Amino acid sequence: MEIAFTHHQSAHCETGVLSNLLSHHGLNISESMVFGIGAGLFFGYFPFIRLNNLPLTAFRIRTGGIMNRVVKRLGVTLTWEKFRKPENGMAALDRKLTEGVPVGCRTGAYWLSYFPRRYRFHFNMHNLVVFGKENDDYIISDPVFPEPVHCPHGDLMKARFAKGPMSPKGRMYYITHVPSEPDFKKAILQGIKEVCHTMLKAPGPFLGVKGIRFLSKRVEIWPKKMDAKKAALCLGQVIRMQEEIGTGGAGFRYIYAAFLQEAAVLLQDDFLRELSDRMTEIGDLWREFALIGSRICKNRTGESETYPAMSAILRDCADKEARLYQDLLERIV
Amino acid sequence: MTLKAQLKKLIVEDLNLTDIRPEDIGDDDPLFGDKFGLDSIDAVELVFQLKAQFGVEIKNMKEGRSVLRSINSISAFIEKRRGA
Repeated sequence: MEIAFTHHQSAHCETGVLSNLLSHHGLNISESMVFGIGAGLFFGYFPFIRLNNLPLTAFRIRTGGIMNRVVKRLGVTLTWEKFRKPENGMAALDRKLTEGVPVGCRTGAYWLSYFPRRYRFHFNMHNLVVFGKENDDYIISDPVFPEPVHCPHGDLMKARFAKGPMSPKGRMYYITHVPSEPDFKKAILQGIKEVCHTMLKAPGPFLGVKGIRFLSKRVEIWPKKMDAKKAALCLGQVIRMQEEIGTGGAGFRYIYAAFLQEAAVLLQDDFLRELSDRMTEIGDLWREFALIGSRICKNRTGESETYPAMSAILRDCADKEARLYQDLLERIV
Repeated sequence: MTLKAQLKKLIVEDLNLTDIRPEDIGDDDPLFGDKFGLDSIDAVELVFQLKAQFGVEIKNMKEGRSVLRSINSISAFIEKRRGA
């Protein structure tokens, strides 16, 4: 049994799953539009939160947030279920499939056997859509894969009931209502406003534009405060968060630029197109930062590729982002 | 030198892979992962070098992930862009 479901590969599981599910229900929406309405763009540098014993940097909001905001802002109803017993969770999934409803599932990616072994890691917030079953195999639209994939019943069950931090507890979701004419304009403005507020006005020194400036100062002192190896590890951690293989390290700035471009068309506002171009240029700067950083980490540096040079790029990023969010906010209020 | 040979040379030389020779890289081998030890930090350099040496730019994450998969996928991408 297979539901006619169109699979599109995407950059991220959360934005990709939602874009695919909404499109299935007749609401065509791109991944960048989901990212923008869901106010996914972010910056946070958290010296006190350690990942692999190194400070954590984030370029997008936490997983889960985008989905909640988008469905709320577009007036879509997404029904969630979670289960204590794996058998019940799988039976409920089968029932929905029999009804012809594609179902989103939150999973522990480590257990999904279609991932090549070397790419498997313990991450309990991976989203996918199940849209069919063939004998003992589920047919899955996993947005990070180019084509639909198959996964045996036992593996999907393990993935849905993976243990550990943020365990999914069999969480599944499906769309039960899509408005015939969602108010895109309002949703876009709400999304933009939220990003601008977070980036400009979030409290404390670690978030938004202030966080970028804070990181800029830290980058400059790392090589003075610690040995070369440790400083390179700190740097590598930042770059790993901004580089998803293939972006060249733009830290989600390009996807936001794509959103602004789409918004410019929908809102018939050329100034948003200009801001989209400026966001692309900011993405280029982040990329430059990542390039120098990657060379330092891998001992491939030239003379101008230093920590102070990286710190200066970050200051420039912070200044340019601050101006952009101010202009954006003035435009929409 | 063929495009694929150029790409292999670029990967070995520009990413400083001291224990791998260009001819060790199969056209369809996955570049990222255990075999050659490339990681997301190398991807930054690779994206930069593809732009600097071949004039092709990757700005879309979805595209980037599939382009950088193997020598075959990178060369197909460059040829497509050149033909466009």
